[in-house]
Amino acid sequence: MVALSARDKAARRRPVPLPVKGRYRRIKTVVAGLLLGLFFLVPWIRWDRGGDMPGQAVMFDVPGRRFFFFGLEFWPQDLPLVLGLMVLGALGLFLATTISGRVWCGFTCPQTVWTDLFFTGDRLADRIAGKGTPAAKALRQVFWIGLSLLTGFGFAAWFTDVTTLPGRLLGGGLSSGLFGTVAVLTATTWALAGYARERVCLHMCPWPRFQSALLDADTLVVTYDSGRGEPRGKKRLPLRADLGGPGGDTARGDCVDCNKCFAVCPTGVDIRDGLQMGCIGCGLCIDACDDVMGKLGRPGRLIDFASEAGVVPKPRRLLPRPKILIFGAAMMVTIALLGYGLLAVQKVTVDLQPQRNPPFVRLSDGSVRNDYLLRVDHRLPALAAVAVSVAGLPGATVRFGESEGPTLALGEDRSGSDRLMITLPRNALDTAGLDADGHKPIILVLTNAATGRVIERENSYFWGPP
Amino acid sequence: MASPERDPVTGYKTTGHEWDGIKELTTPIPHWWVSVFLATVGIAIVYLYLMPSFAGVKGFLPGALEWSSSKQLAEDQAVAAAAQAGWRKRILETPLAEIEADPDLRRFAVTGGRALFNENCAPCHGVGAGGQQGQFPALIDDDWLWGGKIEDIHQTISHGIRNEDDDSRQSTMPSFADILAPEQIDQVADYVRALSDPSQEATRTAMPGAKVFTDNCASCHGDHGQGGREFGAPTLNDAIWLYGGSKQAIISQVTHPRMGVMPTFAARLDEATIRMLATYVHTLGGGER
Repeated sequence: MVALSARDKAARRRPVPLPVKGRYRRIKTVVAGLLLGLFFLVPWIRWDRGGDMPGQAVMFDVPGRRFFFFGLEFWPQDLPLVLGLMVLGALGLFLATTISGRVWCGFTCPQTVWTDLFFTGDRLADRIAGKGTPAAKALRQVFWIGLSLLTGFGFAAWFTDVTTLPGRLLGGGLSSGLFGTVAVLTATTWALAGYARERVCLHMCPWPRFQSALLDADTLVVTYDSGRGEPRGKKRLPLRADLGGPGGDTARGDCVDCNKCFAVCPTGVDIRDGLQMGCIGCGLCIDACDDVMGKLGRPGRLIDFASEAGVVPKPRRLLPRPKILIFGAAMMVTIALLGYGLLAVQKVTVDLQPQRNPPFVRLSDGSVRNDYLLRVDHRLPALAAVAVSVAGLPGATVRFGESEGPTLALGEDRSGSDRLMITLPRNALDTAGLDADGHKPIILVLTNAATGRVIERENSYFWGPP
Repeated sequence: MASPERDPVTGYKTTGHEWDGIKELTTPIPHWWVSVFLATVGIAIVYLYLMPSFAGVKGFLPGALEWSSSKQLAEDQAVAAAAQAGWRKRILETPLAEIEADPDLRRFAVTGGRALFNENCAPCHGVGAGGQQGQFPALIDDDWLWGGKIEDIHQTISHGIRNEDDDSRQSTMPSFADILAPEQIDQVADYVRALSDPSQEATRTAMPGAKVFTDNCASCHGDHGQGGREFGAPTLNDAIWLYGGSKQAIISQVTHPRMGVMPTFAARLDEATIRMLATYVHTLGGGER
C-alpha cells in the first residue's frame, strides 16, 4: 500500500467524478437506496403500545431514557447489549474486510452513501443549469442545503414522534435538544457530504489507517492487472504480441490510458498505482474499465476484485483461512451472548431499601414494625397494581403508606414507589424465629394484583429486638 | 556562522546555524497553531478581567461580572422556588386533611417534606424519625403525646411545646417527691408497669399502687393509664416508653419529671413548608385519621 500519490494530491480540488454504468454501480445504487430507505422510513412505522406510550415502532426516547424497538423496550441498564452490538459490528467489519477489502467503505458507509447522493445532485445541477455557470453553483447549494435539511429531519425523527415533527419544526414548540439535533445534523451533512466528501475518507477517517492489518494475500481488493495492462499507451499503438496484437517495439498492453478509471473514482485515486489508502473498494473503476474494454472489443476485468494470490497465479483460499475462521467464530459467540442478553432482559426492576434508622419501631400494642422504601419499575404491557406479601415471617402483615393496604397502585405509570411497612404482632415475635441478633431473612413476593401472577421475589431482612 | 538562507530542496529558510557543513532548517510552527495559542492567551486575559481572579490583601478581585458561587446558588434557589411556587400555592389552598388524598400533591409534599425534615427536625427526632430513647419521641410509631391527626401535628410543628409561644403546647407534670412518700412512689411504679402487662389485668386492681394512681395520676393519665392528649400526658398502658419502662426509670420520672420542649417553627418556616412537614410526618406510618 502506498501513501497518497502525487496525482491524488493534485486531484484534491477536482471536478465531480463522471457517472458510470455497470454491475458495481447497480449494486451501489441498490444498497444506497436500501440504506437511505431504512434511514428515512423506519421512524414512520407505527406500533401501538396503548396508553400514552409512543406509537412509534423504533424510537430513542431520550427524555424518558428508554429505547423502543417494536415489541421490545430497552432501558439504560441494558447498555451491555449495545456493547454486544458494537462488538458484533466491529467483528463483522473485520470479517468483511478480510474477505473482500473495504466493501464497508465502498458501499455502506454513511459518508459514502451521502457523498454519492451529493455527487448525483451536483451532476443534476450541472445538467439543468449548464456546467460551471453561477446558476449551477447556486443550484448545487440548493440541493446541498435541501438534502442536509432532509437528513437533519430524518435523524431527529428517530428521537421523537415523526408524524408531528414537521409541524413542531416549523411552528415552534420543539425542544431545544431536538432543534439542536436537526441543526447539527443539517450542518454536519452540509459540511461533510457537501464540502468535505472524499476528504473525510482520505484525511479524517481512521479506518483506512488500520485496514492494512486485516488484508492478506487472499483478500479480494480492487486490483489493476498490470501484467496485462502495461505498458499503457494510446489506442492507435499496436497491441502486445502475447495479447494477440501485432507487437513490436512500441507495442502497448490492454490499458489505453483513457483515465476513465480515475475520472469515475469517488476518492480520486488512480488504481493503476496499486492498492492504496485512498481506495474505498467501491468497484466503480471496474465498471468504467469494463465499458472501455467492451468498446475496444477486448475482454473485461482488466481491473477486478482480485486477490494478490489471484493475480500472481497461486491456489486461492477464500474461506478456510485462520483469520476468517477466528472472526467468524467470534461473531457466533457474540451473537449467542447477545441473544442470551436479549432473553435475560429484566421486565421488572425492584428496588427495596430497608429503612434502618431506626432499625425497627415498636408500636403501642407491642408489635414490631420494619419500614422499607419499595420502588418498582416495569416494562410489561400492563401492570396496574402490584400486590406484595411476605414469606418467611408467619403472622406478619404488609401495608403501603398510600394505599394503606398490601397493593402498590401504578395505573398507567411504568414505575411507582412507596413506603412499605411490615408489622409483626407481639404474640408472633417469639415464634417468628428471629436469630440472636433479632434478624430474620424474608422474601417479598410481588404479584400482579390483577392476575395473581408472581412477577418478582425480593430477598431482604426483618429486624426485631435482639 | 552563516547567514540564514533559503534551502532550495524544501523551500524553507535555514536558521543560519551550521555544524560541519550541516545546516539547520527552520520549520516554523503553523500559523493556525500560533493564532490559536495567541487566542487562548487573549481569552485568558478577558476571563481574568470578567471573573473573580487574583487574591488581594483584603479579599480578592471580584471581576467585572462580579460572579460568585453564593450568588449563583441564590439564583438557582430562586429558580427552584419559582418552579415550586404553583405546588406550594396548591398546598396552601388545599385543606390539610385533603393533601394526602391528591396523589400528585401527596408526592410533592412527602418528597419535599423529607428534605425539610432532615434540615429542621432530624437533629432531635433522627433522620428516620425514630426519635431518641429518653430524649425525643419517635414519629414513626403509633403513639402521639399531643395527637397524631395531621391537624394536631401541624399545630405542634407550628407552635412547639412548652416554649414562650402563647399557642405552644403547655403542661407540667409536678414533682411527686414532696407529695408522695417513697414507698407510695414504689407502689405506683409497680402498678404503672402492670398497666401494660396483659397477664396482670385481673390482679392489678388489687395492687397497693392502684389507689395511689387513681388519686394522683389518673386526672392526667386517665383511669386506665390511657393518657391524656390535652395535657400531653403519655399513654402508660402501651409498650412505648419515652423515658424508659423499667421500674427504676418510672420512679425517677415520678420523682423528678422530665418533660420535652420543642421550639415554635412558625417563626422560622412559612406555612406551606410546615404543611409539607406535617404531611410527611403524618405519612411516616403512625398518622391518625
